[in-house]
Amino acid sequence: MSIIGIRRAGIFLAALGLLGLGVVYWMSFFWVSTEASQGIVQRIFYVHPPAAWTSFLAFGIAALTSGMYLWLRDERLDWAASSAAEGGMVFATIMLITGPLWGKIAWGTYWTWEPRLTLTLLLWFVFVGYFMVRRSTDNPEQGKRFSAVVAIVGALLIPFIHLSVVWFRSLHPEPVVITPEGPSLPGDMLTTLLVSVGVFTVLFLGLFMLRYALEGIRHELQVRARRAAA
Amino acid sequence: MPRLDQILRGVLSLILLSISFSALAAQATGSGGAAGVGGLRAYWHVFIAYAVVLVLVLGWVISIGRRLKDVEQRLGE
Repeated sequence: MSIIGIRRAGIFLAALGLLGLGVVYWMSFFWVSTEASQGIVQRIFYVHPPAAWTSFLAFGIAALTSGMYLWLRDERLDWAASSAAEGGMVFATIMLITGPLWGKIAWGTYWTWEPRLTLTLLLWFVFVGYFMVRRSTDNPEQGKRFSAVVAIVGALLIPFIHLSVVWFRSLHPEPVVITPEGPSLPGDMLTTLLVSVGVFTVLFLGLFMLRYALEGIRHELQVRARRAAA
Repeated sequence: MPRLDQILRGVLSLILLSISFSALAAQATGSGGAAGVGGLRAYWHVFIAYAVVLVLVLGWVISIGRRLKDVEQRLGE
C-alpha cells in the first residue's frame, strides 16, 4: 500500500475510532448498569483496561518491528516502531492516570508499590528512554538501532505485568476477562468493555497509520532535499 | 489537509457534545443503589478519568494532524 493509501486508511480508521469513542462514553454513562460493590467509580473500568490493552499492543508492535528492523535494516520498520511506541506512550499514560483515580476510591490510595503497578511504571519509563535514546546520538542510524534494542527490552516486561497479579499477592485485582474459566462479568459490562477494547484498538490503528504516513512523507522530503543538494 | 481538519473538528464536536450530555445525565439521574460509594469524589474521579482519555487521545490526533499538515505543505513547495 502506498503512503497516500495508508494515510487515507488511517483517516478513515481514526474517524471511526473517534465516533466509536463517543459510543463508548454513551454506553458507559447511560447503558451499562452500576456495579454493586464499587458504585459509580467502577465505570473507569471501561477505559482503564482498554487503554492498558492498547498500550501493550502498541509496545508489542514497536518491539516486533524493532526486532525486524535490526534484522532487515528496512527504514519502514523503524517508522512503524517509532509510530507504535508513540501511541503506546499515549495509551500507557491514560492507563497510569485512570488507574490511580480508580484506586483512590476502591483501595483508599492513589498508588502502591505493588508488582503490577511498579512494572507498568517501569514500562512507561523504558519507552520514555526509547525516545531519549533516539535523539541522543549524533548518528541517526545508531539512535535507531539503540532505540530498537530498548523497545525489545521494554516489551519483555509485558508478560510479567499481565501475570504479576497471579504470581504475587497484590492490591490490583486478577484478570476478569482473560481467564481459563472465561469472563466472569455480567453481560452488559462485558459488552461495554469489549466495545471499548475494539474502539481503542481501531483508534490506535488509525492514528498509528497516520503517524506512519507522516514518517513516510518526511522520508520523501529528505530524499528530495538530498537530490536537490546533489 | 483541510479535509482532515474538517473531519476531525466535526468528530471532536460530536464527542464533546455527547460527553457533556452524558456527564449531566449521570449526575441528574443517579446510577443505582451503590452510586454513593466514594461520595461526590467518586463522580469527580470518573469525570477526570474520562476527560484525561479525551485530552490525551485528541492531543495525539491534533499533534499528528499538525505535523502531517506541516510536512505536506513543505512537500508541496
